[in-house]
Amino acid sequence: MTLTWLGRAALYLALLAPIAGIVDQGRALARHRRSHALILAVAAMVGIVGAVAVMQYALVTHNFSLAYVAENNATFTPLLYSITGMWSALEGSLLLWVLLLDALALGVVLYYRREARDAVVGWATLVLFAVMTFFTLLMVGPADPFLANPAIVHQGAGPNALLQDNPLVAMHPPLLYLGFVGFTVPFAFAVAMLVTGRVQDRWPLEQRRWSVLAWGALSVGIVLGAWWSYQVLGWGGFWGWDPVENAALLPWLTATAYIHSVIVQDRRGLFRVWNLSLAIATFALTVLGTFFTRSGVLQSVHAFSSSTLGPLLIGFFFVVVALGAVLLAWRGDRLRSPVGVGHPFSREGLFVANNVLFVGFAIVVLLGTIFPLLYEAVNGGQVSVGTPYFASVAAPMSVVLLVLMAVAPLVSWRAASARVLWGRLRVTAWAALGVVVVLIVAGVRRPTELVACFLATAAAGAALRTLRGAFVSARRRGRWLAVLRAPSTGGMIVHLGVVVLALGIVTSTSYATRSEVTLAAGQRTVVDGQYVSFTGFHQVRDALETQTQVLVSVDGHSLRPAITTYNGRQSQSVGTPAIDSNLARDVYVTFDALGGGATSGAQVGGALPAGSVVLGVTVEPLLAWLWIGGLVVGLGALMTLARRPQGVDA
Amino acid sequence: MKRPILVASMVALVLVAGLSVLLATRHPVSDATSANSPLVGRLAPALEGPYLGRTGTFDLAAHRGQIVVVNFWASWCVPCQLEAANLSTVAWSERHRGVDLVGVVFNDTVAAALAFARHYGSLYPSIVDHGGVLANRYGVTAPPTTFVIGRTGRVVAFLVGPLGTAQLEHVIARVRAQES
Repeated sequence: MTLTWLGRAALYLALLAPIAGIVDQGRALARHRRSHALILAVAAMVGIVGAVAVMQYALVTHNFSLAYVAENNATFTPLLYSITGMWSALEGSLLLWVLLLDALALGVVLYYRREARDAVVGWATLVLFAVMTFFTLLMVGPADPFLANPAIVHQGAGPNALLQDNPLVAMHPPLLYLGFVGFTVPFAFAVAMLVTGRVQDRWPLEQRRWSVLAWGALSVGIVLGAWWSYQVLGWGGFWGWDPVENAALLPWLTATAYIHSVIVQDRRGLFRVWNLSLAIATFALTVLGTFFTRSGVLQSVHAFSSSTLGPLLIGFFFVVVALGAVLLAWRGDRLRSPVGVGHPFSREGLFVANNVLFVGFAIVVLLGTIFPLLYEAVNGGQVSVGTPYFASVAAPMSVVLLVLMAVAPLVSWRAASARVLWGRLRVTAWAALGVVVVLIVAGVRRPTELVACFLATAAAGAALRTLRGAFVSARRRGRWLAVLRAPSTGGMIVHLGVVVLALGIVTSTSYATRSEVTLAAGQRTVVDGQYVSFTGFHQVRDALETQTQVLVSVDGHSLRPAITTYNGRQSQSVGTPAIDSNLARDVYVTFDALGGGATSGAQVGGALPAGSVVLGVTVEPLLAWLWIGGLVVGLGALMTLARRPQGVDA
Repeated sequence: MKRPILVASMVALVLVAGLSVLLATRHPVSDATSANSPLVGRLAPALEGPYLGRTGTFDLAAHRGQIVVVNFWASWCVPCQLEAANLSTVAWSERHRGVDLVGVVFNDTVAAALAFARHYGSLYPSIVDHGGVLANRYGVTAPPTTFVIGRTGRVVAFLVGPLGTAQLEHVIARVRAQES
């Protein structure tokens, strides 16, 4: 009981502080004086940290007086998964959400404390307080994490088996949430700029920094989610166009468009209103994504159990869009930039192409995600939109994307000259052609792979050329380290990461081989050039689980794919794949069936000899580069945060 | 058009309003319909088969005294994809409360069924119905079809279509109340 009251008291503090913040900030704006934003943001932070501390204390000490702990923790849950238990179900995940949101709001207030009387900062703070109030209200109302548990529980249910299988569970959700929550800041400033009508100041570019922070976290969060899925679920894939995966992809796409087009505003003063719309759309899409995950309307691997939050979240989504649309309708036409893009093949023209590409793809993904709901509303039946739909758009889009990455960084602003462009493109074009020739000689024949390699080399070349430019100018001034903070360095490193990631995806998916082999103990076979042998079994028993491992060796590396049965009961078992990964290829081994006795699941009809196993073996070349590419993207995004402002010296 | 942004933002607003209304009025996954079957109220037919993807056999007779949820599915069936995560959620949360969930795969290849179960992170066992013998015995023509079998071994509910978490929990609670 004590914990319930402590937790709730802390939550009330976290709720009242932003409400007071709205009132206080509103009065400060009306009277042109300083607000008490800093102290109230600190108060909110103290409240939410207190609530999180209570929840963590209860989880770590397995205190089942809270219903949430009884449902998502057990006496035998290890420490790491007790901590991550806070975000393995709906109510607790909101605690993490608000913690990140309040921390970010405090960061904004601190960062701009010297400019607190500026109306743009004032309005943005007000919007931040309003968003904080909404999400905290969800926990005070319908999704109370501190509900008391009336029954006496000795053991607890424990987190979902799939959520206590891999430490990535500790990384993927917090980064993804930071990405989602992070877009609140550009949204708040977009609203502030529209209200005050000041879109020409330095504020748009200031927002790029916050957006890149959120974008980087979201990118790495998405890649880590794919990695988790690849390591835990055992189907050998990493992306399934599941509604919730799409929910994370949607704001990522519009945010990518935003952080590119805001550069044009910085350099040429164009796209002012468009950028504001993108910032608003990105935040609205994060709210929509939250709705998809937490309403139970769309079924997916990630869906939290059905909750009553659906109508509240969709209402909030509508309010966000309506606020943005009304402000844009009111101010938009007066704020537009008087000139347009001059030449379609100038740098700014190619930025337009980039935006059309990303926003267009976002619309395609959104349609595919909600189509089952539309269909059900009209026809009453059920359909699912699967990978073929999304993949048929994603493939050509990636090609255009790589072409843009190869050309756009080399094109001049304002006007384009084919001769100048060819002069800059020549080296990379020949290099790319050379790579293709080498690949053909080496025996690669698939057109998709050849096209992908050609474009990837060209795109990498463009990025490297830009990096070399920054390097040369830094050397000329004798300050080598300045290259790290040069305006385009971070962005070009992100481009290199994307190139690596794209190569990993294309190669691993188009050259993957899947096969199923039956092996008796001591037997060896060759699958796609890899020696696979099966040596025996190993049983691991502890309080939590019984694991039957198959000892397999792949090219001399020992692997242990397993079937894990939780907590002494046969009914819940999870297959755990084992992966032998190196830079050239991944060998992904699953334990599919066991011989012995008359029957075995994986074998239709005929029986397997006792003591033999059926292994699923998937060989995927270059797959590891996907994760490396993702990390490079995150690194580039981090470097962009330290970026020198364009105007200072460029 | 003199004020294109005004027009564009109003169009966007109307579209989003429509979308919001659509989403707000959707039910959490259209629930299965509780149907009549000659089996309801009778002792459940024998149900025995090899597990999918691991060793051993499931035998319904050994589960007398438990509430057993039997779900017929196939990997090609769209509504089965909709309910897969829900079934795992219920199986996991009910696992210490005298409820067993078992899937029966029929009209499918074992490889596809195994891939399906993995992709959806299935947390309950399934058995393979070779030749559709079990489906015939239970009068199942199309997946997903779900039977709830009480502690005494009688069929207490027959549900056609994809199940929602809340719906299945509700049926289980009803069975518990009836039998206690």
